[in-house]
Amino acid sequence: MKDKILIRMGDGERVTLSADEIKEDIRAGTQDAARRGRIPEMTAPEQEQLFEIMADPSRVVGVSPGEEVIVTDDGCSMSFYSGQDGGGVGVPMSRMQAILTYERACGADTTSMGHSDYSYKPVKPIINYEMNEYYNISMMTTAPFFYGAQPNLGLYYRPDGPCPNPAELLPAGKIKEARAAQEEACEHLKKDLVFVGKKLAGVGCEGLNFDTCGSAGDADFLAALLALRELRQEVPQMPIIMGSSGEFVIGMHGEVTFDGRRLAGMYPHEQVKVVEAAGACIYGMAVNTNTSESTAWNLARAVTFCKAAVEAADIPVHVNVGMGVGGVPMMEQPPVDSVSRVSKSLVQIGKADGL
Amino acid sequence: MNIFEQISDYLNQGDEDKVAELTDRAIAQEIAAKTILDEGLIAGMEIMGAKFKKHEVFLPEVLLAAKAMHAGMTKLKPLLIREGIPAKGKVVLGTVAGDLHDIGKNLVGIMLKGAGYEVIDIGHDAKPQLFIDTAKKEDARVIGMSALLTTTMPMMRKVVELLKEDNPGGKIKTMVGGAPVSKDYAAEIGADAYGYDGANAVQCVEELIAGG
Repeated sequence: MKDKILIRMGDGERVTLSADEIKEDIRAGTQDAARRGRIPEMTAPEQEQLFEIMADPSRVVGVSPGEEVIVTDDGCSMSFYSGQDGGGVGVPMSRMQAILTYERACGADTTSMGHSDYSYKPVKPIINYEMNEYYNISMMTTAPFFYGAQPNLGLYYRPDGPCPNPAELLPAGKIKEARAAQEEACEHLKKDLVFVGKKLAGVGCEGLNFDTCGSAGDADFLAALLALRELRQEVPQMPIIMGSSGEFVIGMHGEVTFDGRRLAGMYPHEQVKVVEAAGACIYGMAVNTNTSESTAWNLARAVTFCKAAVEAADIPVHVNVGMGVGGVPMMEQPPVDSVSRVSKSLVQIGKADGL
Repeated sequence: MNIFEQISDYLNQGDEDKVAELTDRAIAQEIAAKTILDEGLIAGMEIMGAKFKKHEVFLPEVLLAAKAMHAGMTKLKPLLIREGIPAKGKVVLGTVAGDLHDIGKNLVGIMLKGAGYEVIDIGHDAKPQLFIDTAKKEDARVIGMSALLTTTMPMMRKVVELLKEDNPGGKIKTMVGGAPVSKDYAAEIGADAYGYDGANAVQCVEELIAGG
């Protein structure tokens, strides 16, 4: 074992730490998750296993044969044609070319397409175009092909939408008005999610992805759950993935409930139960990366939350391992050393069903 | 449940009418204003702060509690002045020069008022000297600076440096906060405290004032 081990900070900076420092970060990371989520810490052997993965001198690590899991696509094909500011490489290709390249050249388990804004609201006025595009591409793909976007409740507040803006009302002390605005926006968002979902189901959509739910707080999360339940009734043949935006549902409203359960403050092992009850086929767990802590600290935290969520779940749990989530550093181009360590740890120790 | 527990309980429910009514009732029972403040209102806000830290309550509930606190304080303030009870302290709050983002700063202001502090809000895009001049004029104990942009963060250093030259006895303390600001940055520029959210900012101010 080398005295100094090369790892990264949560912002991607390369640092060297001693074995003791990494072990201490792992201990502190799992303790933080356990304290916040009121869940068990990683056991001593699990912490040791995570240390071995972090300390592996290889640049890229992986699971053993037989331990591989499904990787669900989360807009990867967009990385081909979007510019550097969007985390992409700016290759001039169409959506179809990008999706087929991702499927056939990269060996994707699932593929997906989405609007470049990646929100459901702007899809509504161009739904016929999106349906046509989806249909044409789906005729060419073999792997399951999803349509994905984010609920993004913020788009329903002024000046972007019709509802009063809680970010202005709350600091003005207008709490009741802020809550009413979120409830009104939640209703608009739910309708749009159902509208888009039903239209896409009409052209044989193989799966819908409600991505990054709860980014605007608990009312955002609620809209996705309500739409999910309605779509399960209306188009039961269409699978739906529901992914969260962080390990914790932020209480911007604070009082909204689903099936009598308060959403604000839910951690992954609780989120998965309401996502499951709403009818999702896969729960996409997310744990935010702290840029000021090491990847060892962040990954220990992500693994701890993952283990608890998988134990609680009756549906597959696929963990988000993109930039700034799951222990992956907050970088436009996540480094392979970190991504492979995150993937291996979440699968082998966190028992994730997929990524 | 005694009257202090009732005030605390209704404050935690964010019921400003009930808190005002119970404060009136406590005053009518000739309980000292300071006792009502400490054992009813501030005790209630402390419970709220602890729940906020544990993610049991969220921003809207804390803001409702702060409004209820304010309703009680409105009743108590004339009595506190008459009884010669000093206020908990004054805090000058502002978003630094070049930065127009004031949502976080406003929320911190509400939380501080809720905790019983007098807040002098100098708004956004506030020039460094304005922080110093206002703090001296108002006899404030703490200057709180907010920034959302990395490009405006250096203004915090400027305020700290100006204050070093014009702060007899080191009486005025500085606190910084905002999305790009960190504990390390606060230490680097020589600020006395870093408040990572509204509840933590209240705790920082309490510690700064208690520490003299």
